[in-house]
This record gives sequence, structure tokens and C-alpha cells, in this order.
Amino acid sequence: MAILRMIIGRIALAGLTLLLVSLIVFSMLEVLPGDVASRILGRDATPETLALLRTELGLNDPAVLRYLHWIGGLLTGDPGKSLVSQRPVTDILGPRIFNTLMLSAYAFVLYLPLTLIPALVQAIRRDRATDHVLSVITLVLLSLPDFLLATILLMVFVIYLPVLPAISLVDASSGFWEYLRAMTLPALTLAIVMAVYAVRMLRDNLIEVLDSDYVRMAELKGLPARRVLLRHALPNALVPTLNVTALNLAYLVGGVVVVEKVFSYPGFGSLLVDSLQLRDLPVIEATVMIAALVYILANLVADVAAILLNPRLTGG
Amino acid sequence: MAGGQGRAGVIWRQMPLSFRIGAVILALHLVVAVTGPFWAPYGYSQMGAGRPLSGISWQNLMGVDQLGRDVFSRVVHGSHIVILMSLSGTLLGLLVGATVGLFSGYVGGWVDVVIQRLTEALISIPFLVLALIAISAAGVEAAGNPVLVVLVVALVYAPRIARMARATAIDIATRDHVTVARLRGESAWSVMWRELLPNASGVLLVEFALRAGYAPVLIGSLGFLGFGLRPPSPEWGLMISENRAMLIVSPVLVLGPGLMLASLVVGLNLFTEGLARVLGRTVRLGTR
Amino acid sequence: MTGALMTVEGLSLAYRQGPNWQRVVEDVSFAIAPGEVLGLVGESGCGKSTVALQLLGYRHPALRVLAGRVTLQGQTLTGLPRADLDRLRGRRISFVPQNPTTALNPGIRIGAQIEEMLAAHAMPRADTAALFDLVGLPPDAGFRRRYPHQLSGGQQQRVCIAMALACHPDLVVLDEPTTGLDVTTQAQIVTLLADLRLRLGMSMVYVTHDLTLLSQIADRVGVMYAGRMVEIAPTATLFRAPRHPYTQGLIASIPGADGDGAKGQPLPGLLRREDLPPGCPFQPRCHHAQPACASAVQPMHNIGPDHAVACWRWDSLPPQPATAPTPDQRDTGNPAVVLAVQGLTVAYGHAAPVVREVSLTLGAGETLALVGESGSGKSTIARAISGLIAPAAGSIALRGAALAPLVRARNPEQRRLVQLVFQNPDASLNPRARIGSILRRPVDCFFPTDSPHSEGLVVQALDAVRLEASYAGRYADQLSGGERQRVAIARALLARPDILLCDEVLSALDVSVQASVLDLLQRLKHDSGIAMLFISHDLAVVRLVADRIAVLFRGEVMETGPTAQVFAPPHHPYTHALLQSVPRPLQRPQPVASRQTGPSQPNINGCAYAARCAWKVGAICDTTRPPWQETPQGLGLRCHLPLSDLTTLAERTPVENPA
Repeated sequence: MAILRMIIGRIALAGLTLLLVSLIVFSMLEVLPGDVASRILGRDATPETLALLRTELGLNDPAVLRYLHWIGGLLTGDPGKSLVSQRPVTDILGPRIFNTLMLSAYAFVLYLPLTLIPALVQAIRRDRATDHVLSVITLVLLSLPDFLLATILLMVFVIYLPVLPAISLVDASSGFWEYLRAMTLPALTLAIVMAVYAVRMLRDNLIEVLDSDYVRMAELKGLPARRVLLRHALPNALVPTLNVTALNLAYLVGGVVVVEKVFSYPGFGSLLVDSLQLRDLPVIEATVMIAALVYILANLVADVAAILLNPRLTGG
Repeated sequence: MAGGQGRAGVIWRQMPLSFRIGAVILALHLVVAVTGPFWAPYGYSQMGAGRPLSGISWQNLMGVDQLGRDVFSRVVHGSHIVILMSLSGTLLGLLVGATVGLFSGYVGGWVDVVIQRLTEALISIPFLVLALIAISAAGVEAAGNPVLVVLVVALVYAPRIARMARATAIDIATRDHVTVARLRGESAWSVMWRELLPNASGVLLVEFALRAGYAPVLIGSLGFLGFGLRPPSPEWGLMISENRAMLIVSPVLVLGPGLMLASLVVGLNLFTEGLARVLGRTVRLGTR
Repeated sequence: MTGALMTVEGLSLAYRQGPNWQRVVEDVSFAIAPGEVLGLVGESGCGKSTVALQLLGYRHPALRVLAGRVTLQGQTLTGLPRADLDRLRGRRISFVPQNPTTALNPGIRIGAQIEEMLAAHAMPRADTAALFDLVGLPPDAGFRRRYPHQLSGGQQQRVCIAMALACHPDLVVLDEPTTGLDVTTQAQIVTLLADLRLRLGMSMVYVTHDLTLLSQIADRVGVMYAGRMVEIAPTATLFRAPRHPYTQGLIASIPGADGDGAKGQPLPGLLRREDLPPGCPFQPRCHHAQPACASAVQPMHNIGPDHAVACWRWDSLPPQPATAPTPDQRDTGNPAVVLAVQGLTVAYGHAAPVVREVSLTLGAGETLALVGESGSGKSTIARAISGLIAPAAGSIALRGAALAPLVRARNPEQRRLVQLVFQNPDASLNPRARIGSILRRPVDCFFPTDSPHSEGLVVQALDAVRLEASYAGRYADQLSGGERQRVAIARALLARPDILLCDEVLSALDVSVQASVLDLLQRLKHDSGIAMLFISHDLAVVRLVADRIAVLFRGEVMETGPTAQVFAPPHHPYTHALLQSVPRPLQRPQPVASRQTGPSQPNINGCAYAARCAWKVGAICDTTRPPWQETPQGLGLRCHLPLSDLTTLAERTPVENPA
């Protein structure tokens, strides 16, 4: 019961955070000094077009009313129409989100082995040459900005070793293999960025657990080395890594913005950049809210999983 | 004097290797940033430095871009811009974040609840997305202004630093020496100043170094996406974006700014890791 | 030693510290006979645990065996392949860890943790229930399915002991097995171990810093100092005629719980690993040291049957431990009441109260001790008095004026008059401030007019706690634990309080340091006439400092009275159990007059102690709150049994004094 109450509490907090995000986003984009209409129209604005747009957007209403209207629309699944194409925002977002989900799933499949294998190798060979070399490699990769890593991968696999396409354009007519080929480079970029972050932490967790009293106890009980590692050390080291994976999922939401742009992949991230350039407010707002939602959900899932996995809380 | 140098030498040798390598890399970057504009062979927007896209030569160490500008000179001129913006943005974020976080953690109660919810909400917007909407909220007139980029870096970092500072304050506030001060009836500000801040300074220093290490990446990302500084600025992210268009013809052009950006971040990360070890703390390198 | 079960020869070990290897164990040799209990004793950091782990061939990337070997009946463990070691570990040599809470895997059920071990050594899994029964744990399947965190510390340690015994080993290595436990639990575990040893006849190596405890269980004791064995002898010989100056100092620093008022003599100085002389490591702290000791490596001299000592001057030194000092005199009168606590009840949140209707008075210059096991609410009472937690009911009056519940509502004068000294001086001193500025704060806060000459006051305060004026310029981490606690006391004194609340001020300190801080507190009491509320779980210490004692159990006062009265019959059943569990040198443990510690709920209606009481009358104890009874000598206690019966019961199982 206490656990159920705890989980419900987390969900309520997540909802509250999301509500606050909507307030922040709305006030940044629509309430802050500076007229929205002139920001949308940019330097080419004339008084007539400005006045027209203001009426169209309902800008003459008070901000509170506009916020309530907007949030009501979001909650009922109607984020409005694009200012540029006049199509409903849901129609624009749908295929983009699908593409990004495919990309993320692919990146995640690559991420797991890229994390587990180096971390286990480093922990077993700790403080030896293998460990040091892998540490240096992860540190350098960790320091590379994602757009630079993407550009380098592009150079390697497109120019010097031309096996993959430079531009990952796909649409509804693309076949599965076409999709896969197009997604490989962006997915690999994202997977590497996520993995280097997790490897270092999993290595440290593993070593900490390997040094713990209960692993020493398991060894002194006469258990074989493999059982000590896989039964006593790894499960306990993975629990904190769960949190890292949630952070990585959250990174993905921001990471796709740059990586999709580099490879011109038609996903949700490149949509955000494009609509920012076009100042397409309804699309921007919907996209940002989805990004925050994913971040909050990822953390919520990690929190709840940590509660459920902790025998101290579940009591068995 | 000799004794002093000797002591400095001893301390230097006792520092972790990562700290020493990081410090050397950083020192080189600082030298380039400070002196570079005086010895760079060409101006950062000077055209005709060589035949466009002619590749690497003794005259043009990192090649010539499509407008005929020397990439090496541009990279050198960009150095102080990147470092200055990174440091001032992070410092501003630290000042705001640390003050808010320490205060909220120590005072507790409803003040803490409100501040904590707000920081959580700001953190749940992916940092690049937050930076992008903040820039577009600032409007057309402010676009490309370095001050805006600095403010955006601070906006992105302040809530993250505040969360860390708050956790630290809560941890320290339960220690007995703080209880002793409370039993004496000292004011909240006096406790923060005398008991919390000195004990949080290690955490805050590492946090500053860690965040400063990613500020060039954030600034570069903004420039790369076209939301940071405007051409002809020699900011490295912007340069990578511009030169990427010529990737097929002259791939070497992205290497110059790429190498500078990567080495600066590697240096800062090594420095941070070493610093954390010296201060007996653990640090999670990475942007999350 | 022929026919030895295990021998250790010339063992030297090093730990990696950064790029360097620090030698931590130097040329240690000893042997263990079948069925023998060998104790290893020394201060923290002397290398005793490191040696113990080598008996199981333990390896760690940061540990290196420089020389020597460990053999089990002719088989060398040092350098044995891991697979062969796995067959010996747990099967022939097993291990009981210091901290059972961290040594049990938090994610695996306790039954399964034993079963996987039985499986690894091809033993029948069905033995688990019998093992649980053997160590006094409920053998039912429901209990075996619990996770470690669902057990008390004592139960966790019983699980570890069951695990160590699971495969009927020849040798059990115990690494400080009772250090993390309560006094009563500690006594129960020691009794269990002594009993198991008689029944199973295995050998044991018992590592501890507690010499008193070893005297109860060990056949022979090896004393270690700074990685070297300095003396090894049969237990009785070691206590009667210790030869090494360090052993003599250790024995002299034990406070006696018996009535002669002996208090421990502190060992001078501190073990500093970084500047050990090349010769005898104890030379810098030794009363009998000569310059040559610092350079001459001390080999072990065989000086009697099984008795060896690493001191070349062993036969020119007196073989007696330092003599006990003169007993303390106490003046009893009727001092003015400075602190009156009436019906104090404290609860955290909506949980059951942790302190229930406690009433205490403290006279000027008087020392009142609050005694009880952890969780008895002793510290909560101190927190309530100092205003850190608001009581749910009851009142606290300082010099007749009621105090506000929380410290922020009290006036500066009230805050000044009550000063709290914490258990752990590492936490109570700001690590980033110099001692001088820490000590100046109370002056600035309470005596702003004195601020200009606070320097002098700080020096005076340091002098009062026997620290040099130069300490003002240091940071807390440059001080030893005992020195830090002195600074914490000095800080409290600078407020010139009426009342000093001492919350377990000795328990975080090494035994050898405890004595010196205790000495300081007693002197303060005489010189300054300050009233003290002395909170402790250690009856031996309490007996030395307290004028009166209040015994707490689960937040209620069970018994209170003048010190001498509390130590003499009649006793409350709980006081009796406490007195019996005080370790005394050279006394074999006896069954503690207290039943199994059950996870019982606090008994709201009846007697709080009913569930554990060995002298329980019957159902009345569970249903009716016992009456408060008083003797003419001023002793009061809460029990259903008449005082005369309590006297008889106490005398039937007397608390023995050592021979």
C-alpha cells in the first residue's frame, strides 16, 4: 500500500512538473516582452499584416485566457494548426514522431552491447592496460560534441569508406532496408554518445560492488568467480545504471535535434529546428511539450522501477 | 623564490595525471586565446588568404574555406570568443544556481518546494531545446548577440547547478556542526555563509569545472544549428557547420575547428576529473 | 608448533596507495592448534583484519603479499589457484564479517544465501533449517525467505555465523563480529560463539579491538601494533603479566565496571603510520623508550611457555599493568535544581512515541547519566532539551522557567545555558574552519563585549581541555579523534553553560582515547561545578562519572537512583540484564538474563520490557502498566514484582566481580 501511495505520488509530481513546463514554455514564447506577431513575421512585417496576424492568433485576448485555450487544446489532443502550412499540427507531428521512434529504437539496440561489453571488460581488468586504454577512449568520445561525432562518422563511412548514404532521407514509401540503411549513421552516433556516458558509470558501479563486503563474503564462501560476478555483483551494479539509462533516454530527446539535422533525417528533432526557423509557434510549442513529456516519463519509469526493484521497499 | 618554485613543483607532481594533462591542454588553449589575435597570420574575415578549398599547405595550416579565408587564423581568433563566452555563462549560472540551491536546501519548507518544482520543470526541457526556444523568444533583434548566448548558457545551467547545490545543502545541514550553529541561534544567512558555503565549495568547484567543460559544446551546437553567433564570426561550431557544406570537396576544413573544440573539452574534462579526485569527490562527466 | 591446523610464517603485506605500495603488515607469524581460539587485538589500522583475510587466501587488486606464507595442514594458500581456494573457502575455513548489514547481499533472501554456499560445496540443502536453529534463529521457511534488511543487526550476524558453520569448517575467522552491535546483542553473540565452540570444537581466530572481550573467549591472544605482532601469549598470562609496553598500556586503558572505581589510563599519543621509526614502531609512544629502540628492529623473544614478546627490554620492565588511580570522591547534598523535565513525550511524525512520560531533574553541579541500548530514546531526550525537536507533551524548565519547545523560540540566554556535545566530533566541527574561529563563535554570539579579546579566551579554553594554544591555527582533520572531542567540549564551555548535555561523547573514540576524555570530563565537573546529562550505553563508564543514573528502555524510565543504589540490588529486570552483559576481563560469558530479542511492538498498555523480561510475572505485565516503587535509599523503579522479590532474584544470579 505504501508503495502504491509512493508511486501515485511520483505520478502526481510528474504531472505537476509537466504543467509547470507548459507555463514556462508558454510564457517564454508568448508572454515575454516583444510582440509575438512581429516575432513571427520578422523584419518583413508591415502594420497591416501584423494587425491581421494578431486577430488571427487571438493576441488581443489576455494572456491567461490564451494559455487556458492552448492548454485545453493540448489536453483534448488538438494543438492547433501550423501557421506556415495551415495543416493540423497532429498531422505534421505524426510521421515525424514515428521516424524518431524508429531511430531511437535502433540506437537503443546498438547502445546495450556498446555499454555492457566495455564496462564488464574494464571492471574485470581493472587498473590494467586494457582498462586504461578503454578509459581514455571513452573520455575522448565523451568530449566530442554530438554534431562533431556525427560529422566524423559521416566522413569515415560516406567519404573514405562509402558504404552508407550521407543524407538519410526517408518517407512513407521507403522499404525496411532503405530505412535501416538510412538510419544506421544517426543511430550509431546516438548510441555511441549514450554508451560512453553509461560505460564509465557502469564500470565504476561494478568496481564499487566488486569491492563491497557482500561480494567479498560471496568469494570467501567459496563461490566460483563467475557466479560471484554474475549473481552477486552485476544485478546490484545494474540498478544504479537504470537511472543512467533514463538520463540517456532523456538525452535522446535533445540529441535527436542535432543528429537528425546533421543527417537531414525527417524526424521530430529536425522538425523542431525547422519550425523554429520558420517561427511556426503551434508546432514549436507542441514539439517542446512532447520533448518534456518524454523526459519526465523516462525519469518517472526509472523512479518507479527503482522502487519496485528495491527489496527494502517492496518487502519481498 | 627557488624554494617556492620547488614547493610548487612538488605539489604539481603530487597531482593526478589527468589533472596535469588537462591543465597543460587548458594552458595552451588560454595562451592561444589571449595572444592569438596578435600573431594569427590573417584576420578572421580576411578573404584572399589562399585559393578557396585548396587544402593544407605551409601558408594555410588548416586549409582555406570556400570564401578564401584562412581556417587556422579563424580558429585562433575564435578561441577567446568560445572561452570567454563559456566561462562567463557558466559563472553566471553558478552564481544564480548556487545561491538559489543552497538557500532553498537550507531553509526548506514551502520556499524549497516551490523552487524545487521550478528547477525540476526547467530541467525537464532538454537543455538544447530550452536554449533554442530561449533564443527564439529573445526575438530577431537579439539574434547573434554574444550576450544572449551567455545568458542562455546561464539559463540552462542555473537549474542544474541549483539542484546539485540544494542536495549538498541538505546533506551538510544535517551535520552536527550546523546543528551547533543553530543551537547558538545564528541566522540563516550566517549559517549559509560560515557553515554551508565553505563545505559546499568543493562540490561547487567541481560542478563549475564540469559545466564549463560542456559550455563550448552547447555554444558550438547553437552555432552549428544557426542559432548562435552569426557569420562571419569565427565561433567553432558555426565554422564546422559552414565548412561541412564542403565536406565532399575538402573534408579537412572541419578538422581544424573540430580538433580545437574537442581538445578544449578533453582538457576541461581531464582537469575536472583530476580536480574532483584531489578534492575527494566523484564526478560524472557528461552532459546529462 | 607441531600438529598446527594453520600456520602463518613471516607474512608481509602492502596496500596500493595511488602509485605507491604502503607496507601494512610486517613479518607476522603465528600458528593455530586444532580446537584453539586465538584472539588478535590492536587499535584500528594495525593490520589485524588484513592478516585475518589472508587466512582465507583473500586477494584484491590493491593488495600484494610481499613475503611469507599461510599454510593449512601443509597446503600453502598463498598463490593457490582460485579454483582450489574455492574448495577450501567456506568448506574448511570460513569467515564471519565485521558488519553483517553490508556483508549480506541486499537483493538475495537469507535462506538462498546459505543454500548457494551449501550447493557450491555439495552439501545437502536441507541443512539450512538446522543451521538456523543452531544459531538461535527461527528455523521456519517464512523466516528463511526474508531479505537481510528485514532482520535486526543481531539476527543478521547470526545468519553470517550460520553461514560460516554451514559446511562444518575446521577454522572460523571472525573479523570484529560484534563491533557494530548493541551491548546486549553483543553479549548474546559472544555467548553464542562460546557455546558453539564447546559444541562443535572448531578453531577460531577472533579479531577485535576489544581486549576485554577476548579475555572471555580466547585461549591465546596476539597483540598487533602498526602491522607487527608485538606480543603473543595465553590469555591468562597476557592479562596477569603483560610484557610489551603496548600491551600493558592497552590493559591499563580498560575501564573497570567493578566497584573499585578504577578508570582507564589513556595510552599516550597516537598511531601515526606516516612517521614510524625503522625499529620498534611503538617507540614514539612508549614510556620506556630509549633512542636505540627507534633503529633496532625488534624480533620476537620466546620468554615462557607459548609467550613471545617483541621488546628487547622485556625483562628489565615491570611485568604489571599500570596501577589504577585513586577513586573519585563525590559530595552528595541537595543541590538546587537547574533542569526539570516533566512528563516528556516525544514522537517523530505520527509513529508511536520514542520517549514516553519521562521526568528527570538535574541539580547544580550534578551528573545524571541516561543509560540504555540504542533506540531507547536517550539521544531524543537530549535533542528535546536542547530544542531540536518539539515534544508532543510535557515540559522542560531551566532554573524554574519553562523553555520554549524549539530552539529558535528561546532567548539567547537560554540557548547559552544549555550546551550539547555530540557523539561524533568529526561531524560536529566544521571541517573548513580553523579551530580558533570555531571556538570564537560562541564568544561572538553570547558575549559580544568579549569579542575583542576572544583570542585570550580561546587560548584559555584550549588550555582547560589540555590542548596547546597552537591548535587554534589548525583544522579539525589535523587533530586526532580525542583532540577533536576536546575541542567540541571547549566550544561548549566557552558559552559558560549551566548544563552540558553529553550525547555518547566517548563511543566514537578508540578505547585508549576514551580514558583521556573521561578524565577531562571528571576534572571539569570538579573544577567548574557544571551540571551534566551524560548519555551512554556503557555502564562501566557511567559508573565512573555519574552521581545518579536513569535507566531507559524503549523511551521509558525503568529505574532511577543514586549510582551506588542502581548498581546494588534490588534491580529492575532490565538493569540486571544490562549489568550482566557488561564485559569484564577474564570472565567467561554467561547466559544473559534476557530472552531472544523479538521484533515486538512497543507495549502501550503493559510494561515496555515485558516481551524480553526474564522475570516476567504473567499476563499482568502485558496488560497493566507496572507501579513506580521506591526504596528508602532513593532508588525508584517500575515493576510488578515487589522490591524484596527483585532483591532475591538479583542475588540468585549475582553480577560477579572478577577474581
